[in-house]
Amino acid sequence: MNVLVTSSNDYTIVTIEGRIDATSSNEFEKSVMEVIEEGNTKIILDCSGLNYISSSGLRVFLIALKKMKAIKGQLKLCNLQPVIQGIFDVSGFATIFSIFPDQKSAMER
Amino acid sequence: MKTHTLSSHIISYVLLFCIGLFLVTFSIYYYFTRSTIQETTKENAVALANNTVNRIELVLNTEERIPEIVAKMLESSFLDRDSLIPFLKSILKNNKNICGSSISYEPNYFPDKGMFYAPYVFRQGSKIRSTMLGNENYEYAFMDWYQIPKMTQTPYWSEPYFDEGGGNMLMTTYSVPFYTYKKRERTFSGVVTIDISLEWLTKIMSTVKIFKTGYAFLISQNGTIITHPNKDYVMNQSIFTIAKENNQPGMRDIGRQMIKGGGNFASADFKSKWHPGKLWINYKGLPSSHWSIGVIYPESEMFASLHQINIILICLIVVGLFLLSLFTVKIIRKLTSPLKHFADSARLIAAGDFNVQLPEIKTQDEMKELYNSFSYMQKELAEYIVSLKDTTAAKEKIESELRIASEIQMAMIPHIFPPFPDLPQVDVFAVLKSAKEVGGDLYDFFVIDGNKFCFAIGDVSGKGVPASLFMAVTRTLVRSISDKEISPSVIVSTLNKSLSSNNESSMFVTFFLGVLDLATGELRYSNAGHNPPVVIRGNGDVIMFEKTKYIPVGLFEDFDYGELSLQLAPGDKIFLYTDGVSEAENVENKLFGEDNLMKVIGENVKASPRDLIHNMEVGLAEHVKGHTQSDDITMMTIVYNG
Repeated sequence: MNVLVTSSNDYTIVTIEGRIDATSSNEFEKSVMEVIEEGNTKIILDCSGLNYISSSGLRVFLIALKKMKAIKGQLKLCNLQPVIQGIFDVSGFATIFSIFPDQKSAMER
Repeated sequence: MKTHTLSSHIISYVLLFCIGLFLVTFSIYYYFTRSTIQETTKENAVALANNTVNRIELVLNTEERIPEIVAKMLESSFLDRDSLIPFLKSILKNNKNICGSSISYEPNYFPDKGMFYAPYVFRQGSKIRSTMLGNENYEYAFMDWYQIPKMTQTPYWSEPYFDEGGGNMLMTTYSVPFYTYKKRERTFSGVVTIDISLEWLTKIMSTVKIFKTGYAFLISQNGTIITHPNKDYVMNQSIFTIAKENNQPGMRDIGRQMIKGGGNFASADFKSKWHPGKLWINYKGLPSSHWSIGVIYPESEMFASLHQINIILICLIVVGLFLLSLFTVKIIRKLTSPLKHFADSARLIAAGDFNVQLPEIKTQDEMKELYNSFSYMQKELAEYIVSLKDTTAAKEKIESELRIASEIQMAMIPHIFPPFPDLPQVDVFAVLKSAKEVGGDLYDFFVIDGNKFCFAIGDVSGKGVPASLFMAVTRTLVRSISDKEISPSVIVSTLNKSLSSNNESSMFVTFFLGVLDLATGELRYSNAGHNPPVVIRGNGDVIMFEKTKYIPVGLFEDFDYGELSLQLAPGDKIFLYTDGVSEAENVENKLFGEDNLMKVIGENVKASPRDLIHNMEVGLAEHVKGHTQSDDITMMTIVYNG
């Protein structure tokens, strides 16, 4: 699992690569929380390189979502691979997250 | 196994080295000593021969002077005819070596004295007698002793001979020609002779000894043996006859060299009956008489002293090597004795005795270092084992607690099948396999009001102890809520509300809850983010439930969950599972997937709930091929019999 943080047009873009499972979810949580605690209010999670997510990983997504809602910030997801999209669909998470096909469309809306 | 000890190794190396060193040293020593001995012997032999020659020459030269002086006296007419015999007698009286002497005139030198005139004086016993030589039977003028000096006009030493008349003595005659003036012309007039006993020569020669059996011999200019330790040879054999008898051409060649008057020091190219083995010979000619002296000795005697020294040396070295071995063994045993101790200690330490006594080391060498390392290891190991024991005890405690927790958790879910033997309308089979000791999956089923069958399956985010606690809470809440409610959406909403409040850890549960009316076959259900179950119709149709739009429970307190309904006919089955099934991974991280899940179900549409789940397990096992299970696996199948 690898996390790369960049900035573009007010948005902080967190690019995730690899797997987020029970082993790597703690590290992922730490990385995401750092980005949020820095005071970024507009965050895009680019999941183009994310090829597996376990329920532990979904939990981190949820914690991030809750934190952002608490500070009235924005958390957007983009570039979900079909497998990941499937997991979001099955778990109903697709209904509570803002999911976009790519970074461009995520920034436009 | 102690067939090869360290000391035997070291000794064999040291001995091999020493033996090698000795062999090289010995060879060099032997070579040089041998050539030195040979050189010294040569010098000695040459000196001996020269010395002997000089001794003989001294005598012979002294004797030679006498007839030479007589000849001069005769030439200068110093002696008159009648005084010759008294003169010769006086010569004999004064020279013990001379046995006889004559002045032999040419035949008819004195016409008045007849054909022969040769006064001869000789010893007989202690008396000195005189006679006249020459008669019809003894015409001395034809004898060698007369003829040869006459012809060569030089003095001549005759071949030695035995004087049979005068006491069986070995004799030789020295003849000197003399001249007188006839008509003022110097003319050969006769020969002066002296007969010399060679007894003294034999004595001199017999004193010549070299080494133990080496000896000297003398041959005449014909090769006749004059002196030899073997008396039979003397005057009876010549070096050539001996060579011929023994078939030794090498001896003949040396004989030829000797009578030519040569001198040499050489290894003899011949064998002798006298001494088997190699011989060395040194020879030298006598200038006056043309005799030759030979000194002969065996090589074995020449090097006898060397061989003796060699034997002593080898004995010393063998003893030395033996002592060296003993000494080395002692030293090495002393030095390495702690090693055996250390080995024993190591074995005891390995067996768990950390307080074993180490050997005492008094030296400050590598053994001391070993001792230090060893005692350090002993100490560290003891400490490590203590901490390991503590850790193991703690781990065992946790493990035993986890085992108990696992038992408690398993006891919380129904695990007796068939669960309702007196309820023919429905049958259930379910399994739950946690990835760790305790897990976050759950299933449950129970009957409400006698005709409603309520069942649920859920999956807590994460695994292990936190998930298991959340699972226990969820299961307890479900049971308590369904005591009062029968609507799936109300049950799920209430559950969500309870779980969401104060959920600091943001854990959540995907949850499916269904309530089946056993009388009508109507199934009402609510799906909170759980994998869609599969319905297997009695006619073999297999349909997956739609994906849910409701999020897992435990996230947002005020989330509204709805419910849907599905009509079941008798014989219809429902297969429920957690993502541990659909997302089971093999080594290549390939997921089992919904396709495989549906395929296995399609192959088992007629199977009993138990068989369906068993076959699904088999399919899963084939897929993961022994790869470690990473997530909890739960499966439940319900059949509605109407």
